Amino acid sequence: MRKCTIQTRRTARRAGDTEEAPRRGEQRGGCGCFIVPQKVLERFAKDKKLSAKERQHFADAVKIEREWRRAREANAQLAHLTASALPTGLTASAAAAAPAVLVFNCGHGTTLPGVPIANPGSSSDGAAKRAFAETTQVVKFYQSLFGRNSLDNAGMTLISSIHYGVKYNNAGWTGSQMKYGDGDGNIFIDFTKSTDVIGHELTHGVTQFTAGFGYSNQAGGLNESMSDVFGSMFRQWRAKQTVQSADWLIGKEIMGPGAKARGFTCLRDMADPAASHCLAPQPTKFSQYQNGMDPHDSSGIPNLAFYKAAMGVGGKSWEKTGQIWYQALTGFAPSPNMKMKAFADRTREVAKTLYPATPAIASAVDQAWKGVGL
Amino acid sequence: MGILYVEKLGGLAGFGGTRARIRSRGQIDSAALSATDQKAIDLLFEAGPHPTPSRGADYFRFRISRAAASGTESIEVPESSVPAALASCVKDEFV
Repeated sequence: MRKCTIQTRRTARRAGDTEEAPRRGEQRGGCGCFIVPQKVLERFAKDKKLSAKERQHFADAVKIEREWRRAREANAQLAHLTASALPTGLTASAAAAAPAVLVFNCGHGTTLPGVPIANPGSSSDGAAKRAFAETTQVVKFYQSLFGRNSLDNAGMTLISSIHYGVKYNNAGWTGSQMKYGDGDGNIFIDFTKSTDVIGHELTHGVTQFTAGFGYSNQAGGLNESMSDVFGSMFRQWRAKQTVQSADWLIGKEIMGPGAKARGFTCLRDMADPAASHCLAPQPTKFSQYQNGMDPHDSSGIPNLAFYKAAMGVGGKSWEKTGQIWYQALTGFAPSPNMKMKAFADRTREVAKTLYPATPAIASAVDQAWKGVGL
Repeated sequence: MGILYVEKLGGLAGFGGTRARIRSRGQIDSAALSATDQKAIDLLFEAGPHPTPSRGADYFRFRISRAAASGTESIEVPESSVPAALASCVKDEFV
């Protein structure tokens, strides 16, 4: 839980003092994030030199601090108890409040986050409505399927900025928030239109807070692959699809009329990364990997491995294969320079650990990686 | 400084990737840039190789090339480092 302490002001008044502007280091309104020891708050709450109103202010601050600490301790105890009771790999975060989901309008500028949109879930702006609704669903996806409370597993507020730039053919994760362009109307349309794109961007946050894969060379390809894997998984979950009924396409709904007229159906195809219907065909075997490749290129190799594993295991991608990949991503120390072979071996081991009574699952994972040369 | 040749790379769609069917290229006469932007470009070249940003994903990178005494010199920088006037000289297109 991120702490936001109560703003307080030293108010040792002298005769003739008028209402002051915020002192140096303070902020007007809201949380100034000062840390005032509880004993100091209690002393001011009893200081007869202060007005009754000021003493009440400090007394309220004391009460809020006590309640906040009680809630934090209770949450920690609950998390510890349920972590002990849950199977390995699942985390306890039921006591934490759902994260806030905020949407901002950049108004075609590039200053982030932009202007806040009130009630984005009911906005007449389709992009605002989609960004809010689907981000909220991603929260539910990670919470209900993986026991994860927001990207940092601590209820982090999720911020999306829409209408970024002018005809901006991109969406991205800045390290602290998402941004979505409207597309140029030819190659691409509004980037909030693909649920897998929204899931993709948010998953970059999950990776940042867990495995911390870098963004170059093999680690970069794995970083991108995690986002395509969980982005596609999210799309399948939203549509209640099995691995058989899913199309495994990334970015299908953001293809503009110019792209469609040329026969392009997606950015990438996890089932057939080299396919000609992709705007950016990718390698399908590790022997095709080269250092310095764009991460969106090299991700084709682990993407295909996940597809093969999911098809080998069957059912819905989040039930077993997704659990293996999630544990492999989040259950180990940060590995910014992760190699694809090491990640492959990790999923092999996790598959055996999570499903010891079903060796066919570990076998499917093993065969999937062998199928891409790992 | 002369003509600057600019290519936008990466992003969610992987512009300029090995087999990508989309590219984004352009050029601009440095004389058309403001003095501030020209200075910014010079500083980017002087700084040498730019490290990958420590956070963030799916951002664009810009490869900027110009003629130099020794031939052509190129740098690759994240979009956050590129003056808007330079970034806007590229055109996204199918190949």
